[in-house]
Amino acid sequence: MTGAAGQDQSLALSVRSLSKVYSGTLALDALDLDVRAGEIHALLGGNGSGKSTAIKILAGVVTAEPGGHIEAGGQAGPAEHWTPALAHAAGLRFVHQQPAVFPALTIAENLALGGGFPTGLGRRIQWSVLHRRTAELLERYHIAATPTTPLGALAAVDRSRVAIIRALQDRDEADSGVLVLDEPTAALPGPEVDQLLTALRRYAAVGQTILYVSHRLDEALSVADRVTVLRDGRKVATVDAAGLSEGRLIELIVGRPIERLFPAVAQDAHDEAVLTVRGAVGGPLLGASLSARKGEVLGIAGLLGSGRSELLRMIFGAYPMMAGRLTLDGKPYQPASPSEAMAAGVAYVPEERQADALLHGESVRHNLSAGQAGNYFRRLLFRHGQERRDASRSIGEFLVRATSDRQSVQNLSGGNQQKVVLARWLRQRPRLLLLDEPTQGVDIAARSEIYQLIRRATAAGTCVILVASDLEELAHACDRVAVLKGGRIISVVEQPLNAHQLTELVNISEAA
Amino acid sequence: MTPDKTEAGVAGAVPPGRDSPAAGRAAPPNGAGVADTVVVTGDGAGAGGSGAAVAPQGEPFGEMAAGPQGGGAMRAARRRGTMILQRYSLVALLGVSIGVYGIWGKTSAVFLSAADFRNIASSQAVLVVLTLGLIIPMISGSLDLSIGNAAGLSSVATAAFYAHGHVPLLVGAVLGIAVGAIIGIVNGLLVVLLKVDSFIITLGTASAIFGVVIWYTGGQSIVLGIPQSLLSFGGGKLIGIPDSVYVVAVVALIVWYLLEQTPYGRSLHAVGSNKAAARLVGIRVERVTFVAFVLSGAFAGLAGVLLLASSGAGNPLIGQNFTLTAVAAAFLGAASFQVGRLNVLGSIVAILFLAVNITGLTFAGVADWINQLFTGVALVAAIAFATALHRERRHRARSPGQDSP
Repeated sequence: MTGAAGQDQSLALSVRSLSKVYSGTLALDALDLDVRAGEIHALLGGNGSGKSTAIKILAGVVTAEPGGHIEAGGQAGPAEHWTPALAHAAGLRFVHQQPAVFPALTIAENLALGGGFPTGLGRRIQWSVLHRRTAELLERYHIAATPTTPLGALAAVDRSRVAIIRALQDRDEADSGVLVLDEPTAALPGPEVDQLLTALRRYAAVGQTILYVSHRLDEALSVADRVTVLRDGRKVATVDAAGLSEGRLIELIVGRPIERLFPAVAQDAHDEAVLTVRGAVGGPLLGASLSARKGEVLGIAGLLGSGRSELLRMIFGAYPMMAGRLTLDGKPYQPASPSEAMAAGVAYVPEERQADALLHGESVRHNLSAGQAGNYFRRLLFRHGQERRDASRSIGEFLVRATSDRQSVQNLSGGNQQKVVLARWLRQRPRLLLLDEPTQGVDIAARSEIYQLIRRATAAGTCVILVASDLEELAHACDRVAVLKGGRIISVVEQPLNAHQLTELVNISEAA
Repeated sequence: MTPDKTEAGVAGAVPPGRDSPAAGRAAPPNGAGVADTVVVTGDGAGAGGSGAAVAPQGEPFGEMAAGPQGGGAMRAARRRGTMILQRYSLVALLGVSIGVYGIWGKTSAVFLSAADFRNIASSQAVLVVLTLGLIIPMISGSLDLSIGNAAGLSSVATAAFYAHGHVPLLVGAVLGIAVGAIIGIVNGLLVVLLKVDSFIITLGTASAIFGVVIWYTGGQSIVLGIPQSLLSFGGGKLIGIPDSVYVVAVVALIVWYLLEQTPYGRSLHAVGSNKAAARLVGIRVERVTFVAFVLSGAFAGLAGVLLLASSGAGNPLIGQNFTLTAVAAAFLGAASFQVGRLNVLGSIVAILFLAVNITGLTFAGVADWINQLFTGVALVAAIAFATALHRERRHRARSPGQDSP
């Protein structure tokens, strides 16, 4: 697909048969990749597709299997001998998802920590030289700030741009080498994503080659000239971004049409309200109201920081509610703590699985019965056998792939860890299940299973409130979606839902 | 601070989203029935096929794929062997130590006499009770450095109750335990309310307790007025076993029951593993932590009463010497039986190991400094071992899926 077209334009980066085996698994299988000079080339794929491995090999921090070949910026050689020094000499520059910038230091200091301080006699830092140099860079890259501004005072997007400048600063010409960006927008709030993409287009316009690694398809489509899709370590295709639809792209990534990814929505959702929220105030919330029905999945769409996570925590008694009223099954409900919420039949899967949900170093069994150990304590004895049988049953029922219930939970993959956390709650048959980004950092297969489990719970009458930043996912997984904006629910939309409509609602300006 | 906490810290440092994709690839064959509804199946055949092709030269898949292949079974057996080796290494070391001192000419005569063996058992009663009390807050991720001084205060206070208050034997003992529990209440409240690291809080209270003891006693031991029944208990025996050993056995049983057989024990482990997660599954983290300190204080109080019984005097100076040894024994104990977990049996074996070696070396003519030297080295070695073990496990857990998104 790239062969003939690749000949007439010079290549900034050319990779042949790049492979990597991790513990007997082919993480990357004979990858060929051509990046043309001056293009924005998106490298896309699900978790475990091999894109991170490819980037790490290009950076020289992971050694490829023998047989591959890398050529870039006048440097060429067998892939297994590629080193960080070679990558640097070839003009490859890497900016990672969480760039190592120092918010407490000034922009000038941040740049100098990457490129070196200009020094004079006795290793004295020549601040005036540094500040002049920084001012030039800031001007060239259109960042409205002075060199002495602390980096922390900048918007997140400008911090990312400073990280990019730091990676590029030691090159005089922008038309050599490749800038590799690994999930550059993952840490950015919604509106700032567009600003970064605009900046990237501007860099490309002056000749900068960019390899853009992401799992956000809409961004990749809007910014990239060409797209390479990886799946299970192999290249599926390299295609022009123009004329490529998001649906087609998902098919390439997943290997099957998207409709089948999410189970069909149950038509006979019961109509009674399980939970009502009236005028909830606290944190970013300024009077949010909603009601969720039995057997439905109610999505909450909102930008990062809109208060979507706080709303869930409030309902679970883990975040203070300054004003407002809740009812559960028609009765007043005021949980002062998670244990009170649990007693009322409410369950909560937090956003940060590692930090807030998993008991590290504990077995799958203990993670499953975390907080429910009291159920097994009868007549002064702990019923270990019953706990073990319940755990084994849950492992089967909730599709957890573990060797046994005694396996340590941190030995599981992200998807299976998440299924353990889900099982912890679903086995209690909750009235109301609150899910905050339940598929974050989960591969696409496990994601599908997680939605299967959620649907199974709603079929049994559980009411689910789902927060997800992936609007495509919300549109497919939910019966209704409430849009949270400016601290209030501004709209509730029903099926048929689509991501574009949600995107518009979420990003709609206050005045509208 | 505890091994549990170390694990939580390290694992917590892994950014969310960097999860291994091992799920689909390393799933055992019996997972295939489940997997036919999911995406991976389309490519699963390919991935599985290539995985199988390279398996013989690859590393084990972690714990997951060890099952079906012959090589996997052998590796699993080897790993099980390593586990058993780790689990019983301290017991083996204890056996070797006893053997060496039993055969070694310098020590064999004194060392193997039954009287001395019982002596070791009963002389360690105070330390065992302190250590078993200490592991309760340690499991929940807190450290109580005041236990030695709490025991010292308890022994002086109990002596004073007997000498000046003329209380009956049992009332005095209960009051001694109560003194320790009150210290635990203070520690617990400070840790929970101020939300400051327990290490700092209890380091402070330890010093304050010592100050109170010296102020009250003027640095002098309380010798007179200790009831004879208590003193004879300290040296007494029932069917040839020192009375204090029975107390230790009862305490060990209580702590074991608490940790392994009650929901409270499970809550301790949960809090020690991940406080935020524990809170979000409905565990009252503050209450669990507070109770842990009250318990460790109460056990320190009991240790103080035992100290008074065995030494025959309310000595204001000796209590604090126990703290570091108890911490060392707890860490050493976490390296055996339930590897990586603080546990009752391991702690007791650790204390015997320390005591046998220190006694043996003392008999061999080494001066008193060996006590501190040996304890210190054992503490550092135990922590180094626990850290290395953790790193190896983490490496094994991570190795199948280095490829993160």
